[in-house]
Amino acid sequence: MASPCDVLVDTDDEGVARAAVEAARDEALRVERKFSRYRDDNIVHAINHAEGRPVAVDDETAGLLDYAATCHEISDGRFDITSGVLRRAWVFDGREHPPDPRAIAAALALVGWSRATWREHTLTLPAGMEIDLGGIGKEYAVDRAAARIAEVTGAACLANFGGDLRARGPRRGGRPWFVGVENPAAPGSVPLRRLELAHGALATSGDARRFVLVNGRRLGHILDPRTGWPVEGAPRSVTVMAGSCIEAGTLATLAILRGAGAARFLEEQGVQHWLIE
Amino acid sequence: MLLAGTLPAAAQAPVAAGWQLEATGLLYGEQARARVVEPMGRLTRLFANGRALSLGLAVDAITGASPTGALPSGQVQTTTSASGATTTSSSASLLPTHPFEDLRTAVDASWVEPLGTLLSATTSAHYSREQDYASLGGGLKSSIDLLGRRVTLTVGGGYNHDRVFPTGGTPVGLAPDSDPRVPGENPKEVATGLVGLAHVVNRRWLLGVTASESRERGYLTDPYKVVSLVDPATLLPDAQVTEKRPATRRRDDVLGSSVYHLQHDILYLNYRYYWDDWGVRSHTLDFKLRHDLGAAAWVQPHVRVYGQAPAWFFVYGLTHGPPLPAFASADERLGPLRTTTFGGTYGFHVPGSRGEFTLRAEFMYQWLVGHPPEAAGTSGGGGGGDHDLRRAIAAEAEGTEGNGRQFGTSIGTLLIGYSVPF
Amino acid sequence: MTSRRRTWLAALVLVATVIPGCATVHPWDRDLLAKKSMRFAPLPHELAVDDHIYFSKEGSAGGMDAAGGGCGCN
Repeated sequence: MASPCDVLVDTDDEGVARAAVEAARDEALRVERKFSRYRDDNIVHAINHAEGRPVAVDDETAGLLDYAATCHEISDGRFDITSGVLRRAWVFDGREHPPDPRAIAAALALVGWSRATWREHTLTLPAGMEIDLGGIGKEYAVDRAAARIAEVTGAACLANFGGDLRARGPRRGGRPWFVGVENPAAPGSVPLRRLELAHGALATSGDARRFVLVNGRRLGHILDPRTGWPVEGAPRSVTVMAGSCIEAGTLATLAILRGAGAARFLEEQGVQHWLIE
Repeated sequence: MLLAGTLPAAAQAPVAAGWQLEATGLLYGEQARARVVEPMGRLTRLFANGRALSLGLAVDAITGASPTGALPSGQVQTTTSASGATTTSSSASLLPTHPFEDLRTAVDASWVEPLGTLLSATTSAHYSREQDYASLGGGLKSSIDLLGRRVTLTVGGGYNHDRVFPTGGTPVGLAPDSDPRVPGENPKEVATGLVGLAHVVNRRWLLGVTASESRERGYLTDPYKVVSLVDPATLLPDAQVTEKRPATRRRDDVLGSSVYHLQHDILYLNYRYYWDDWGVRSHTLDFKLRHDLGAAAWVQPHVRVYGQAPAWFFVYGLTHGPPLPAFASADERLGPLRTTTFGGTYGFHVPGSRGEFTLRAEFMYQWLVGHPPEAAGTSGGGGGGDHDLRRAIAAEAEGTEGNGRQFGTSIGTLLIGYSVPF
Repeated sequence: MTSRRRTWLAALVLVATVIPGCATVHPWDRDLLAKKSMRFAPLPHELAVDDHIYFSKEGSAGGMDAAGGGCGCN
């Protein structure tokens, strides 16, 4: 997952804490092994190298694909797990790189969930297309890990994988978990806000760190799958609170994909959110 | 201490001409913060007529992290971010610090010239240089024996011309940390004067007292320290400004020393009272006992107790809203500080040579007392609310560690010395 | 404490150190005093190091030699 993963358990019993952390870790590793696109031994690899042939998937993968399909529909195509190939057309190293329209067009030809056939536990992707569950994989792992901890102990807990987190509380004494919102301009420094979370999930999506310069204009790294170009006018950081981490993460990503319309989108959705422009 | 070398001349053993070499190594470590390794050397040439020339060299290699003065957001257990960082707090990292590395080199030279049998004069000069600071100075000190050589009066003065050139430029005081910094140098002038009296009370007992005053003018702010601005609703620090101190400082101190030879052991007792026009006042009590172990070795346990009242512009943090005060610093060294030190030295003569080794290990604990200062004027009008805020911040700090000692630091030092005449 | 009171206190301390010593110290009494350890600073290298450490870590200064070196620490 390439990010630090923290598990906090509100207990005095070291054995319980250790068991909870280990359960969370094992589950996180399991999810990563199963859904990472960097491995060559899992279902995602099989799907991405099927060369147009149908691939049968298990219940868990089917659940994720159903979720992705729903998100694609309700977001009018902005949320698309086949959009990963667009990364080949851009370099987000903070320097000036003129975009290559041919490369973008070539990549766009391989993007579009509507081109895939998904029914009855079978997914057929046209040759050359890929799915990338990176956008929801981490949040899904957080939810799964939190569920596993709940099986181990009833103590209040919080699982934070790389900034996306799910909490089960409140802590002893009725106190909520205090979660800071990172300052996107100065990661690692004093957080900008303090949120109180007793139960639920927080996910943050942001555009501040990786970017490219085009004619002096700074463009973030989140790409709109319908155009192949980076989203413009998005807030530097969007934090969403929801019941589950995958929900919070999807909403945060969808908000960013709306660019300048992020705030309005989140208000329409009726979820608690915090933006940093 | 100041009175080194002001012992009544007649009480000193006659000194033969020759050389003296001293080599010292210091290892210094603060819990989770700075580390210093400092080798030092001194070569002294003593002449038959009482003249002496001494040259010293010291090199400090400092690495580590020092607190910035910003308030910890200790109540945040974890962070949500898009960058992939989780920043879960642990109690060891509660205080924001910034890492640094520096190398400081210092050289000094002094010349002692006897003037007749009762009078002597010492001239000294020194230069030190580190990445962001240079100091050049000199001094003159003169001692005269009075009352049948039982009393020695010492008068001295010194002048330092320092230059401060902070890395990255000099910040504008009490401005946002991210504002551009001004390149260039800032001068700092320091003039010091002292007068001391040393007295041989009887064959066992030496007493001394010294009073000194120094006046500083120039750039006296710490360019790397900040003061947090706190949101009064959440009590969470969410911005910071650079600190700012006045451009002049007048310091005074009185030091009393006693050396008393008991049956076998020697008791050293020092008390110093210090005060300055920034509001800092302190008491220092230092106690050492030298005990010989046979003819060739000795031990010297040591205890030092220190307490300080804060500068009038010391704050733990400032609130958003009221206008910024004229001066503010959250540097704990200007706060209500206590330090307790204990340790000891073990010394022994190398058999067959005239050299002596000393090995000293010390442990220091330093902390700020829990009650924020009653300093006025930080919010000019919002005094009442500001007082509640400081109490609340202290209460939050208490809550985090439970005993109000959030700012306590442990420091350990090891000092190895070797000196040999030849 | 006001400045005037401090000055009086300093003067008092000064005088207090002279008064006890009205006894005469004869040359043959100087045996103990001749020891190298009967000095205000028997270990000058320790003194120099301590001066620097406490100057850097605390708000006070001195008892230092007038010609003491400077650093950016206090």
